[in-house]
Amino acid sequence: MTIEFRDLHKSFGAQHVLRGLTMTIERGEVFFIIGTSGVGKSVTIKHLVGLLQPDSGEILVDGKPVHGLAEREYYPLRKRLGMVFQHSTLFDSLTVLDNVALPLRKHQRMRMSAAREAAKERLAVVQMERYADRWPAELSSGMRKRVAIARTLTLEPQYVLFDEPTTGLDPVSARRVDEMIKRLQTLDVTSVVVSHDLTSIFTIADRIAFIYQGQAHIIGTPEQLRAADDPIVQQFISGRSDGPMETPGF
Amino acid sequence: MIARVGDVVIGVTREVGGIGVLMLQVLRALLPWPSMDARELWRNLYRMGVKSLPIILATAFFSGAILVVQSGIFVRRFGAEGLLGWATGYSTFREIGPILIALMFSGRVGSNNTAELGTMTITEQIDGLRALAIDPIRYLIVPRVTAMMVMLFALTVFGDFVAILGGALLGQVVVGVDTSVFWHSLFSNLGTWDLVHGLVKSVFFGLVISLTSCYFGISVRGGAVGVGRAVNASVVASAIGIMVTDCLLTLLMK
Repeated sequence: MTIEFRDLHKSFGAQHVLRGLTMTIERGEVFFIIGTSGVGKSVTIKHLVGLLQPDSGEILVDGKPVHGLAEREYYPLRKRLGMVFQHSTLFDSLTVLDNVALPLRKHQRMRMSAAREAAKERLAVVQMERYADRWPAELSSGMRKRVAIARTLTLEPQYVLFDEPTTGLDPVSARRVDEMIKRLQTLDVTSVVVSHDLTSIFTIADRIAFIYQGQAHIIGTPEQLRAADDPIVQQFISGRSDGPMETPGF
Repeated sequence: MIARVGDVVIGVTREVGGIGVLMLQVLRALLPWPSMDARELWRNLYRMGVKSLPIILATAFFSGAILVVQSGIFVRRFGAEGLLGWATGYSTFREIGPILIALMFSGRVGSNNTAELGTMTITEQIDGLRALAIDPIRYLIVPRVTAMMVMLFALTVFGDFVAILGGALLGQVVVGVDTSVFWHSLFSNLGTWDLVHGLVKSVFFGLVISLTSCYFGISVRGGAVGVGRAVNASVVASAIGIMVTDCLLTLLMK
């Protein structure tokens, strides 16, 4: 089970974001996609679930192309490939419990009471069962993130895409999210994490792809990245404002 | 000048086309058999219909009353007391009731619907549904379209009744036409078709308001400013849609 991007190109108007992105994500690994803001990290993972379509290039999941499909053809894939959005995207009109119960009701044909019972168990895993009757607007961003993770995991996906899971969280909450992602590995879940949180990157990543100018500038383990003799990579890791790196989002 | 006219024509064509495509998507979601999320349907029936009842009834009561007060001058001048019930019922059932209630409904429910869907769009909640393999058309749009059509029909039934009641009451108090004369004039001159005529219109108005408000909601671009623009466009387009539909249906059902 692998995910492959082959020579992916994507533009938004005159802005050519992805310019021939090629990389492979192996089964069971925690794979980080890193890079500066606006470089196309979120754009990359949105292609995987069909929320965006490439201008050219190929995307393969387990050897099967997953680009250019009709909306309904993505549904089986999306059940295997869950996504946790940067802003959690909990549904405002549903309580925390009903948010988590929704995929169970829709895809496992559970009755409301059974779905709610199952949802409570999923919330317990992320230590959010006490907040089951709250509305999303009443939660902190860290809590919302944990509920979003619980909701994504209800369908027991083989792959989980995390879009900046620790952005905006306090350090303690961020490390808890990291632990949660790492724990998924024991369940044979492949995690693809978009992030620029260096602590997360060097704590839980198995491999890292550093995206620069629309391409995978370097792919390797955290140790290989640290040891890379590349001024652009070193500038990113050290967080220096001066250096050779062009920053599209700044 | 020509370029500006061209831009407007292209813009209107795009919006009308988008609403048409949404209608086809809703119809396709209802095939092979109509099914929708029962909780979403009930939630929308309640907040769109039940919550609208006070404002709709108040509007209907006063529109019926004003109609009678305005026509009272001529009723007295020509001694046409026996026609007041018919005139009030005919204009209320066929035009004033459905149109005014639809415009109020559009202002209260349609704008709220656009704002809610627009906020869901810009906060990626719609993409969140898609990522969970849940069809936003089937889950969000179909229950809203159904609820608006059903509830605008029901509100028009109640509104018509209350408008006539308001007319009869003010006819007695202000114009001096006895309620028994008013009711006799109404029931002996109006047929079932006069009532059905307006109710058929209300179902189509519900369709127009729901599709327009949903379309502008899910096609929002540009953050909070975009939501404001979409709400504005939705209310204006719904009002125009109601008038055009009214004109077409009146010609078809005359």
